[in-house]
Amino acid sequence: MSMSAAQGIGERDPLPHASDHDRTALSRERRFAAALLAPAFLALIATTTFPLLFLVWISTRRMDLAMPFMDGFVGWENYRQLFADPRFWESLVLSLVYTVGTVVLQVVIGLALALLVIRMKRGQALFRMVAILPVVLSPAVVGMVWRSFMLTPEFGVIDYLAITAGLGSRNWLGDPTLAMVSVIVIHTWQWTPFAFMVLLASLASLPDDIYEAARIDRANAWQRFIRITLPLLRPAIVMVVIMRTMVALTAFAAIYTVTTGGPGTATEILNLYAYRKSFTELSLGYGATLAVALLVLTLAISALLFVIRRKD
Amino acid sequence: MRKARNIAMFLVTLVFVVAWAFPIAWSVLNSFKTERDILAYPPRFVFEPTLAAYREVLFGAQSILPNLWSSMVISVGTTVLTMVLAIPAAYALARLRVPGRRMTGFYILVTQMLPPVGIIIPYFLLLRNIGWMATYHGIIIIYLSFSLPFAIWLMVSYFEDIPFEMEEAAAVDGASRLVTLRRIILPQVRGGIAVTVVFVFLNAWNEFLFAVVLSGNTVRPVTIAMFNFVSVEQTLWAQLAAVSVIAMLPVVILGIVAQSHIVKGLTVGAVKGGGRR
Repeated sequence: MSMSAAQGIGERDPLPHASDHDRTALSRERRFAAALLAPAFLALIATTTFPLLFLVWISTRRMDLAMPFMDGFVGWENYRQLFADPRFWESLVLSLVYTVGTVVLQVVIGLALALLVIRMKRGQALFRMVAILPVVLSPAVVGMVWRSFMLTPEFGVIDYLAITAGLGSRNWLGDPTLAMVSVIVIHTWQWTPFAFMVLLASLASLPDDIYEAARIDRANAWQRFIRITLPLLRPAIVMVVIMRTMVALTAFAAIYTVTTGGPGTATEILNLYAYRKSFTELSLGYGATLAVALLVLTLAISALLFVIRRKD
Repeated sequence: MRKARNIAMFLVTLVFVVAWAFPIAWSVLNSFKTERDILAYPPRFVFEPTLAAYREVLFGAQSILPNLWSSMVISVGTTVLTMVLAIPAAYALARLRVPGRRMTGFYILVTQMLPPVGIIIPYFLLLRNIGWMATYHGIIIIYLSFSLPFAIWLMVSYFEDIPFEMEEAAAVDGASRLVTLRRIILPQVRGGIAVTVVFVFLNAWNEFLFAVVLSGNTVRPVTIAMFNFVSVEQTLWAQLAAVSVIAMLPVVILGIVAQSHIVKGLTVGAVKGGGRR
């Protein structure tokens, strides 16, 4: 399970004593390779790099779909506005709360379940089957199902359970705090199986004899977990944390379907704010500036996580 | 003592199986209910099943058949175009001496990390300016931004598994590179191609953000059309359940078919998980 796929490609010898014949063969191989790569490469430049440059350009302009006559270059103005925008800082905090909350829950629950299931002699197959269901679903459909059949007051099953448990009916998506909890739970529901599957696979590949040795040394279950299992699982856990963090930071569909960022701005993570600014408030210039901020945030966090990973 | 612990463990795991399966199972149950059974309190687990909701969403006034068609065209189109571009590129990256191969690999990796919200604004303006708003080709080309890096990386991992001797033997026989690729290499990665096709289709089917902004009314996929059944005035619960189940069905089937490859599909290349998100 190599993370750094760029290193996964083996280098071949560059032919130190190449004859003329080899050299023509090499240049022919290169031309062939370039021809194979070019279409995909051009498609990627057109659909990712070019739009990205365009985005940066848009972020230096005023561009309001509602007031097209006001369009024009404003330089750093949008960025100045960004730093002075309390809604931006709040959305940043919400992004961090959402991301940290769901990633911690996913890893803790996923790991606990993997540890339980690995010891099961029967029924592992059923577990794997059930775990696949949430991760293949569209987050938009997941959001819709939760919002309507699980969380609707008095009608949704969660609310029914809350009433039965004596907690009373709650406005799960109408109360600012509960709404945030709800969207975190929904994301965690959908993606914990991912952490579970990766960690289960990693657990299954651990050698048995280390545990035998530990048992002979009379280590108890907790010591075995802390001293043996956890260090051995560390690379897998770090990988899960990195991957889930990137996805949680850019989560959109489920939150949009469930709360559209509301009530008010209670679940408006940076991602949602950039969207709403651009396509609800039709302010594309400033929306692009928020998108650039999101991009910088994503890159910074991924760089940070990769540095942590390299240190291992 | 040991037995009690085993039972406790069993119960905990059972709770989680139920927690994962329930929202899906509950949608399926609800889709077979009448509107009255659905609104019953406490929730009803035993009821007389009916296909009324399915009949209505498929053949009624707000039929989602056109949206299913859109989802299908977009997903199949994206899959075909992605594979045509990704297979040669992945082969070159995995097997040939390309100048700047590491840089190219790294570039593809970085493109995979772009947050979709970060690039939707330029797409919106670009498609509007060239008149490709609400068209299949517009959406399919934009879906390449996430499907192509993913497919290239997944295919690279399959090409790397083939032994070099195969190509060398073919080269000695005087076969041209293209013939070698088609006759010798591609049959070896048939399984890998199938898995990649499944995942690309799945991601395209599940996509939401790009579709919401760019699909307009003409090419609107199911994931967006389900909003038709929820409005401020009223929600058509049974029909909403039926649409959800219909939207889930293809990806659940594909997911179960590709079961043993899911972990690989979700962790390939790095940073991005499945589904757009």
